Amino acid sequence: MADTVAQHVVEIGYGGNERLVMNMGPQHPSAHGVFRAILTLEGETVVAVDAVIGYLHRCHEKLAETLTYVQYPSIASKTDYVSAMTAELTYVSAVEKVGKIDVPRRAQYLRVLAAELQRVASHCLWLGTWCMDMGGALGGGATVFLYAIRERELILDLFEALTGARLLYGFHQVGGVRYDLPAGWTEQCRQTLNLIEQRLREYEAMLEDNPFFLVRTQGVGVISRELALDVGVCGPLIRGSGIDYDVRRAEPYSSYGEFTFKVPVETAGDCYARYRVRMVEFRESIAIARQALDGLPEGPISSRPGVKSVGQVRVPKGEGYARVEGARGELGCYLVADGGAKPYRLKWRGASFCNLAVLPHIIPGHKIADVVAIMGSVDPVFGEVDR
Amino acid sequence: MSPEPTSFLGETWQLVVAVRRAMGVTLRNLFRRPVTVQYPTVKRVYPDRFRGILALVYEKDTGEEACIGCRLCELICPPQVIKVEMLKAEKRNYAKTFTLELYSCEFCELCVQVCPTDAIIMLKTFDLATSDRREMLLDKDRLHALGLAHEPSWATGNRLRDMQAPPKAARAEGKGEAKAESKAEAKEPAE
Amino acid sequence: MPPILYHAIAAFVVLNVVIGLVTYVTLLERKFAARMQSRIGPYYVGWPHGWLQPIADALKLMMKEDIVPNQADRWVYNLAPLVFLVPCMLIFATIPFAPGLGVADLNIGVLFFLAVSSLEIVGLFMGGWGSHNKYALLSAMRAVNQIIAYDLPFVFVALIPVVLAGSLQMSAIVAAQSGLFGWYVFYPVLGQLAFVAFLVATLAAENRVPFDILEAESELVAGFRVEYSGMKFALIQLAEYAHMIGTSFLGALLFLGGWLGPGPEWLGPLWFLLKAMFVFLVVTWVRWSFVRIRVDQILAISWKLLLPISLVLLLATAFVVAYRSAGVA
Repeated sequence: MADTVAQHVVEIGYGGNERLVMNMGPQHPSAHGVFRAILTLEGETVVAVDAVIGYLHRCHEKLAETLTYVQYPSIASKTDYVSAMTAELTYVSAVEKVGKIDVPRRAQYLRVLAAELQRVASHCLWLGTWCMDMGGALGGGATVFLYAIRERELILDLFEALTGARLLYGFHQVGGVRYDLPAGWTEQCRQTLNLIEQRLREYEAMLEDNPFFLVRTQGVGVISRELALDVGVCGPLIRGSGIDYDVRRAEPYSSYGEFTFKVPVETAGDCYARYRVRMVEFRESIAIARQALDGLPEGPISSRPGVKSVGQVRVPKGEGYARVEGARGELGCYLVADGGAKPYRLKWRGASFCNLAVLPHIIPGHKIADVVAIMGSVDPVFGEVDR
Repeated sequence: MSPEPTSFLGETWQLVVAVRRAMGVTLRNLFRRPVTVQYPTVKRVYPDRFRGILALVYEKDTGEEACIGCRLCELICPPQVIKVEMLKAEKRNYAKTFTLELYSCEFCELCVQVCPTDAIIMLKTFDLATSDRREMLLDKDRLHALGLAHEPSWATGNRLRDMQAPPKAARAEGKGEAKAESKAEAKEPAE
Repeated sequence: MPPILYHAIAAFVVLNVVIGLVTYVTLLERKFAARMQSRIGPYYVGWPHGWLQPIADALKLMMKEDIVPNQADRWVYNLAPLVFLVPCMLIFATIPFAPGLGVADLNIGVLFFLAVSSLEIVGLFMGGWGSHNKYALLSAMRAVNQIIAYDLPFVFVALIPVVLAGSLQMSAIVAAQSGLFGWYVFYPVLGQLAFVAFLVATLAAENRVPFDILEAESELVAGFRVEYSGMKFALIQLAEYAHMIGTSFLGALLFLGGWLGPGPEWLGPLWFLLKAMFVFLVVTWVRWSFVRIRVDQILAISWKLLLPISLVLLLATAFVVAYRSAGVA
């Protein structure tokens, strides 16, 4: 790992090669959050990358030790804030696993619905920011960004009608979910899903066969199958490199076993393959959301009564790990409980944290312009990297 | 995805087709209505459950303050922004002081959920921009004034707890009618 | 009146008109781009629809502090905006806005235009070098590469109407396009292809997306302009947009028939303006539709695609003209 200070080092090597150390610093339009990459350049080719993280560390794991199981789900969304529903789902799944609390079927279907809608929203943001990084804030990228955000706003409107908030939902609680569907919501949801499916075709028309887009993404940032398995990336990165692994399929949670969906796999391993994987995931998520709406069972939405006191949920001694397929990969939560109302220790396994580890292997050899394309296709969210 | 064209003309033709498609999408969007909502002259419609600023309310039938100073909201608040002092009286208790630091509030709605008397609620407005941070340290009078001034959100403590509670056999027998009544009241207007 | 006084007054008028046009063209671009992105664009300043927004921007830039980096090469850094601006303004000297109405309708007008507009690269590189900033230097180096690579096809494509008209003088080229469907863009096959190639070369010579690797906001954050603030930045912006408009005027003149249009003669400049705005809007439309491509891919497109095409077109035009004149004579 690099020192925390990037020095202006210019070495003149044998053949007159000059190496320039450039800081793509935490304040950068395409750093996707706060990420510092110290690039060593030869001309325009990147020779080495040192990644420095930790600029968004907010002591979530320590915070979880001071808050009870009832209070923390409303803050859990701040880890992966772009895909907030899956972050909350990870935490309550861990608590329910350790405490052996079962969840009624309606709550499980609602959780699936929320998670898949959130995946669509997160991928909208991914597409928008990636194209904006590649196309410029004053250029065609901004156009795709604004279209994608326009669609994401529709989903956030749905969530606002469901919970009242647009980002920090507090939708999940231990034992079930906190809110039931209001009147007219299913109709609004179906209309939104139809509209988004239609608009997806527009995005693909803008990007798919576009040689400008293709030359930027094909052959760029190739993660080979062996490298993917070695480094331990997850999510669309691993599915873009030919490995068919999805937590929803491998270890079905929250009644995912009852839904039929395809898991997209591409073998090329470059940015274009990851793009294709996510575009198919868009459509699959919309299909799963429709199945959840169609098959929503009646019943209670929580197996525990509504929150009345702060220490209401007590989990007996034990430890457990729950994982969830977030939009970026496997998001996990390891919980050590000691019988009280607060966890003894909580560890978040951030999907982006593991995904970022692949950057020093795939960036060298590419040009600077490819660095932003690769970063965008890895799609890190620094809330779950730094916690 | 179309196969890789190998000839010069083929590549050029693919470029032309792709350019035409992408520019067609932008042209179509040129003629769509913009989605901008010109806040603050135009406000969009907030849903019923909108979580806005917090406020304290009075009881509907007696007109007295609904807050009994039980401090459940203070205990459950994750960032601990609520501070309550109880005032004991003969028939029921009151809150002597109630301060809420709105600048640190997370708007998680847990205090609303916990309140046994539906005293603290959230409003359907979020206009809280001020130039002085002390104006966002709300005391009891300010909270009551806010409660009277703005439209309340649908979610109150009892409604939320009723939505979440699993129907138990004992409850269904004993308070069957009460439950049916509260369910009817819990049915909010269609959007 | 002595000709020098006439030219001085004409130059003064043209410069002022160009500056005013440039500021309002930025507003036009912002509104157009906004509508394509489902939003509104500048609205409140000079309500409605942001009519005073460019004035506000200009005032803001005038009032900003002029920060000079500590280690910048002072002479180079300070002179760069001027060296960048002067050629971009000088190109308007040869454009006639109506028959007989222009600063100087040289008989080598097109040559002067193309030669002078290539001088801006000097100012650009001075800006990148003098800023003592790695990002600026990288961007300036990329810019030199790109502009040199694209000036060649630009020149060849601009020569096509010259060959068709038989003269380098701009008013003669326009006069040769008179008549219904006489505009060179309607010339069978050659005209359309040449116009498209001209648009592509304009995009690249102007550093517009998809060829704007030199500024690349998301990588190099404003490229060679990154260390400039205040009025110097305003001069650079002015120069860029003036060059943009200048090439739009050139395109309208070479391919779309300049001031020719239905109606009385005095409507000529208005038609000219409308056609130039059309060219500008097409370029803007392309800008807001595509992602950018890498610098080596930009150079590949120029040397391997655009230059051969423009050479072939020029050769074809020469053959056609020779055939026509051989047939007539």
